[in-house]
Amino acid sequence: MSESKPPVKKVIPLAVSTAPIEPPPGADAEMVSLYQAHKKIYPRSVSGVFSRWRWILVFLTQIIFYGLPWLEWGQRQAVVFDLGARRFYIFNLVLYPQDFIYLTGILVISAYSLFLFTAVAGRLWCGYACPQTVYTEIFLWLEKLAEGDRSMRMRRDAAPWTLEKLARKAWKQFMWITLALWTGFTFVGYFTPIRVLAGEFARWDLGSWEIFWTFFYAFATWGNAGFMREQVCKYMCPYARFQSAMFDKDTLIVTYDKERGEPRGARSKKADPAALNLGACVDCSLCVQVCPTGIDIRNGLQYECIGCGACADVCDTVMDKVGYARGLVKYSTEHALEQHWTRDQTVRHVFRPRVLIYTAILAVVVVAMSVSLALRIPFKVDVVRDRGSLARIADGGKIENVFRIQVMNASEVTQNFHLSVDGLPNLIVSSETDISVESTQSRWVAVRLQLPYEGAEPGSHTIHFKIESKELDKSVTEKAVFIVPR
Amino acid sequence: MKQKLMWVAWPSFLMAGVLELLVFAVVDPESLHWFGQPFDMPRQAVYSLGFFVFWLSVSISGALTLLLAKSPDEVNQPPL
Repeated sequence: MSESKPPVKKVIPLAVSTAPIEPPPGADAEMVSLYQAHKKIYPRSVSGVFSRWRWILVFLTQIIFYGLPWLEWGQRQAVVFDLGARRFYIFNLVLYPQDFIYLTGILVISAYSLFLFTAVAGRLWCGYACPQTVYTEIFLWLEKLAEGDRSMRMRRDAAPWTLEKLARKAWKQFMWITLALWTGFTFVGYFTPIRVLAGEFARWDLGSWEIFWTFFYAFATWGNAGFMREQVCKYMCPYARFQSAMFDKDTLIVTYDKERGEPRGARSKKADPAALNLGACVDCSLCVQVCPTGIDIRNGLQYECIGCGACADVCDTVMDKVGYARGLVKYSTEHALEQHWTRDQTVRHVFRPRVLIYTAILAVVVVAMSVSLALRIPFKVDVVRDRGSLARIADGGKIENVFRIQVMNASEVTQNFHLSVDGLPNLIVSSETDISVESTQSRWVAVRLQLPYEGAEPGSHTIHFKIESKELDKSVTEKAVFIVPR
Repeated sequence: MKQKLMWVAWPSFLMAGVLELLVFAVVDPESLHWFGQPFDMPRQAVYSLGFFVFWLSVSISGALTLLLAKSPDEVNQPPL
């Protein structure tokens, strides 16, 4: 054992390396440690198929996020969660807090989608859609505009302060803060009409809670995307910690093909790797340099990996340059690598019980929710017994019960309702039976029910209120109890 | 220390969001009473303050968990 050979890569003198990828100055000094949060990571920008997808998704999600509050729908903002009035407007829908079930539905759908995507293709959410990734990506792009790419940034940060450095940093901060403020403003624009909010800002009328939350969200965006970055994923995000519960050996993940890559080492472009006893990995360390969380994908699956595919992109460009086949770092599954599956075989293993079950549950919830939304009657009724009295004798010896009925109009037209009751013979509504409720408003009305003397046995009787909307030609039935005293 | 602060602040932030959603989905701030007196505050103020109260309380719970999760050795160690 003591005579074991030194690692192969040390046998190859570095001097023979004429690999076309020159590590940027200072890169060799940079040893990214997994457990040092304080070591600043300078991700190098990258282009390739995964980064293109990431940018497409950044655009899509952000166009929706920044644009949606400005979209008008009739006389109002298309999507606004009016917390002050406790009404939630989503295009045609007007939801009340009583529609909590839909929120639950959306949360269940989100959870199962996350399980499904994760089981199929790993942390797609992290790599492409998580606001943390998306804003980090945008902030990195702005940083690159102001300060240049990785090596320039590292050199400048190490250098003493000059006027140019100050100017570049100030320019970067200006862009960051502007974007962060715009993001906070947009976020609050989902909860308060954005044009009203814009007016408040225009008048510099900064007294409201809305303004406070704009700055709060802007500050969080600036801090998270500008400074915390990968630390949020590594130390703060619970999802990363339980990824192993959602992964199996057929999950597509960003992997390094160890069999093909090792033993890694630098070599001349003309050299035959087989003769040198080398694998395909030229050990250029670019995969580490581009990694936004600063890990080395060649060490295998790690919880820090957000599945962004930056290493796969950059490795492909290196493989192209040295004339090797692409895909040394690629999206693949553990099983596929072990058993040398073809692409088709890998794809076929996507359809496994776990994935099918998630899909089935997801489909059921989505269908149930769509049906429920489609059949939803846009008004609601609450019936409450009057707390003052159980039952009383009214004029003419009639037995009277008083109820309070809340009618909530969840549409954007005034609705006229007709109230009727059944369940006991000769039971009548002695108060107003026609109720008008303005759009998106709710109204409490007192309703008196009268029953002729000895019209029913003493005790409680189940009755039904029927509330009919004349405009919608739909009705809602609510159960209540009529009490006949002894 | 910074890391521990994040361990406490971040999950409690998430849970405060969940609590906010759950509580204010069923509670209308305008129907709240404070020692028998109606709350004289706009809904936005109650939502906002509610969020920070939730965040603070859940943070304290998280911080206590961190404290109790210390091994005896860590506790017995003299302070730096």
